[in-house]
Amino acid sequence: MAAVKETVEAVAALEKYEHGFTSDIETEYAPRGLNADIIRFISEKKGEPEWMLEWRLAAYERWLAMEEPTWAAVKYEPVDYQDLFYYAAPKQKEGPKSLDEVDPELLAVYAKLGIPLGEQAVLAGVEGAPRYAVDAVFDSVSVVTTFKAELAKVGVIFMPISEALREYPDLVRQYLGSVVPVSDNYFAALNSAVFSDGSFVYIPPGVKCPMELSTYFRINASQTGQFERTLIIADKGSYVSYLEGCTAPMRDENQLHAAVVEIVALDDAEVKYSTVQNWYPGDAEGKGGIYNFVTKRADCRGDRSKVSWTQVETGSAVTWKYPSCILKGEESSGEFYSIAITNGHQQADTGTKMIHLGKNSKSRIIAKAVSAGKSDSTYRGLVSVHPKATGVRNFTQCDSLLIGKECGSHTIPYIEARNGSAQLEHEATTTRLSEDQLFYAQQRGLSEEEAVALLVNGFVRDVMQKLPMEFAVEAQKLVAISLEGSVG
Amino acid sequence: MLKINNLHVSVADKPILKGLTLEVPAGEVHAVMGPNGAGKSTLGYSLSGRPGYEVTDGSASWNGQDLLGLDPAERAAAGVFLSFQYPMEIPGVPAMTFIRTALNAQKRARGEEEVSAPAFLKQVKAASQALKMDFDMLKRPLNVGFSGGEKKRMEILQMALLEPSLLILDETDSGLDIDALRIVSEGVNALRRADRSMLVITHYQRLLDYIKPDKVHVLAAGRIVASGGPELALELEAEGYDKFLPTAA
Amino acid sequence: MSAAPQIDLTNAETFPSRRTEAWKYSDMKRWLREAPEPSGTALVGAPGPFYDLGGEAIVFANGRPVGVTDFIASGVQTLRLRFISDAVGTGHTAAARIVARPGARLLLLETHEGKGSAYVAHNKVEIDVARDAEVTRIVLIEEPEDAISVTNAEVRLEAGGRYRQTVVTTGAKLQRIETQLSHGAEGADARLDGLYLLKGSRHTDLTTVVDHRAADGTTSQLTKGVVHDTARGVFQGKIIVERGADGTDARMAHNALIASERGEIDAKPELIIYADDVQCAHGNTVGTLDESALFYIQQRGIPADEARALLVQAFLFEVIDRIEDEAAKEVVRAWLTARL
Repeated sequence: MAAVKETVEAVAALEKYEHGFTSDIETEYAPRGLNADIIRFISEKKGEPEWMLEWRLAAYERWLAMEEPTWAAVKYEPVDYQDLFYYAAPKQKEGPKSLDEVDPELLAVYAKLGIPLGEQAVLAGVEGAPRYAVDAVFDSVSVVTTFKAELAKVGVIFMPISEALREYPDLVRQYLGSVVPVSDNYFAALNSAVFSDGSFVYIPPGVKCPMELSTYFRINASQTGQFERTLIIADKGSYVSYLEGCTAPMRDENQLHAAVVEIVALDDAEVKYSTVQNWYPGDAEGKGGIYNFVTKRADCRGDRSKVSWTQVETGSAVTWKYPSCILKGEESSGEFYSIAITNGHQQADTGTKMIHLGKNSKSRIIAKAVSAGKSDSTYRGLVSVHPKATGVRNFTQCDSLLIGKECGSHTIPYIEARNGSAQLEHEATTTRLSEDQLFYAQQRGLSEEEAVALLVNGFVRDVMQKLPMEFAVEAQKLVAISLEGSVG
Repeated sequence: MLKINNLHVSVADKPILKGLTLEVPAGEVHAVMGPNGAGKSTLGYSLSGRPGYEVTDGSASWNGQDLLGLDPAERAAAGVFLSFQYPMEIPGVPAMTFIRTALNAQKRARGEEEVSAPAFLKQVKAASQALKMDFDMLKRPLNVGFSGGEKKRMEILQMALLEPSLLILDETDSGLDIDALRIVSEGVNALRRADRSMLVITHYQRLLDYIKPDKVHVLAAGRIVASGGPELALELEAEGYDKFLPTAA
Repeated sequence: MSAAPQIDLTNAETFPSRRTEAWKYSDMKRWLREAPEPSGTALVGAPGPFYDLGGEAIVFANGRPVGVTDFIASGVQTLRLRFISDAVGTGHTAAARIVARPGARLLLLETHEGKGSAYVAHNKVEIDVARDAEVTRIVLIEEPEDAISVTNAEVRLEAGGRYRQTVVTTGAKLQRIETQLSHGAEGADARLDGLYLLKGSRHTDLTTVVDHRAADGTTSQLTKGVVHDTARGVFQGKIIVERGADGTDARMAHNALIASERGEIDAKPELIIYADDVQCAHGNTVGTLDESALFYIQQRGIPADEARALLVQAFLFEVIDRIEDEAAKEVVRAWLTARL
């Protein structure tokens, strides 16, 4: 029962939002507001090629003509897009080449977050412990990327996308926007216009990436939007496991996070993408918190390619997120494993789309939602089968758990089958936390909060097991922390 | 007489039967034994015409009639009955309705008169009593929620009512306890007749203690590699299949 | 909560298109750009499938009532509600109102008997089920393949009210059968079932919205469908459990078979839950006929076509078996068997 002990300790030891500190880092901003000049400013700061600037400006034009979507089951104060900073960077020498050149204040922030940015530190850890390379994105820029040299030995490219635009412009140009087109949706268009950094990953044919890759996002600056862009290309027969973590300080205002993640998987490639999203959710009265409007999509263009999304969503005031798979390749496969926990006044509208275009493509969806407090949680998903896609299989399971009388939990799946050989199966349940089980656990000596954490961890266990080990421990603690104050 | 000559069968382009030759004269019971993966179930499916079992060469006939050109229902009307290793569950169709529909379809195909409901009911009652089956089971959807033993009994009951002339028993003993095995075997033995042939496919010798074969064949790697009397089964039981398996070249 | 905009056949602007979320899979505007001319009179021909079950009758012929349009049931009663369409390219609207008094038991046998071609029919039914009353509504729908029809039923349940519904249809060019049901007081019990068997290029859309507004209500839904050829079946089921509707038990299942290469199924089963003391579940499957079962049946001597029909029938009959009234069940079973 090590997991139980972990959880119990975590509940006892941690504050409500442990990552809520702000850091006093000297920051350089672009002028407030959004116009073509701001986009030119960002592009110039990054030293981008001319085509990239044009791509951004075209995206900006498209964005101006679009309307913010209203179909999601979330309510929030409208964002004043002219009252945000679109670029905020900690002042430091351009592009640090080694850890020694990184501002010690910055390193201290990541140390406080528990993110290992020192390669030595990781190596000096427990023998046999998995290592992972980190790209640390602080507000609008990547501050450091570890293990680059070691990865380069096997041909793996792992660097900030701003750097990739300078070093591998053709590779970026070939794939950028090929999975999430500029005009895909309102937030993707905005991101395309103003994204400032993010990670770029290329795994060459036949290479199994020797370590986990991860990006750690931190919003620090006030009144700043974060628009990161991640592009992962897994060439034929390659494999990579990628982790993403996010935190932000506690601030009274709402902050916008509109990211785009694109994954391309060629023949026989496999990508595992795991997220632990712990943006600041706002305070107990629903003040402040991150608007998390994210577009994540994988294009399984290769035959037998496989992409697996795993997400643990505990943070943000409002979440709007549907990591999806376009299953183009024959026998390609997509997976979506999700835990969404909302408490306080949080709202989450999240799910996935599995678009079956290729023959014998398969998908599997397991979504677990836990709603507590006055929060609202929606699973929204689509499984669609193209007329030419024979032999398609899907299994979907959505389970919702309600804690308390003031929360809401909704399940909205769309199933569209246009081929007679498809086998699609969907199950959904909504139940409340069992009082009998709670009592049983309490009778054996657990406090009410400990008992809730224990039962909820049991409820989400299937998905938890899909996470890489080092993330699973963190995620399990998060489950307990995010449900604090949900009972009694 | 069942005549199988040089039968080659592939499943998903993978050759399973590779030149199987076998004859079962009328009135005789032959056992086909072999290790897992030898192609035993494939033999039963090929003779009964399951889609996906592609005959690439060879022939099979029953009483002079070519079987391979017929669809599954036509083969059934010609007298071929396959007792499935894992009988299907058919939700929504009461067992009795199912059997009567099948019986009349076969009779129609043979140009015989269909059986009336009261006459059929009488036959079913008699047959289910002989197999010690609860008559109420026949009103339930076919095999749905039945135990392994009940399903096998239901197969034998269908066999008794449909009166096939060629019986293929695919691993009929699997999933049966000793009492069920005895009842099922007695049911099969009661169906022995001078104009009826049986092909008993089994991995273990156990079933042959109850259903005594006239001949035993060993199927390995897609072919009949040895044939003999009932003593061959005992020999296999004692020594295993090793000596019949192809040795590494 | 209305999933249907107020459709007015005389005003094309009221016709929903797929841009309206609730009509995503049934684009009325696409097939009907202009308001149809009003239909003329029609004759009430044959007595209808439920004639032998007797009872009172409300009959509409091309929207025109032949007698009364309202019915108040008390005690144990049977009512046949017949929507007869016999028109070519024109449109008509009919509206009936049915009340079951406290403790009444009403067997409501509704038929949509369509002849002619390319007509547009809009039928509205309001049903009030008073305290401890019970209404069993069975609907058989047969329309020409080029007809357009929209049927909207609004059902209100009072405390302890029981409502049983079974809709059986063979579709049309565009057909929407919508039921909106509210549990207005505690302890009501609803069963909402549907069955569609579609051939050619027919379409049907079975949409239900169940609103649990009071405690201890139960809802059970089973919809099954089979599509052949290029037909398109749509199931949309929404269950809402409002704050305070504790003790709700709601279950919904939709199972569909695509029996051809190019048939289409669209399904959207929704749960919208605002109370925590609930048991809610929905299941949805789309598949094809089980090949192993088909072979097994053929092995027993039943030819392939018959084997397929047997499986389809067995699959669909599960819905009919849930009808409690034996006489009505037999009529529905025979009606469907004749159309397999």
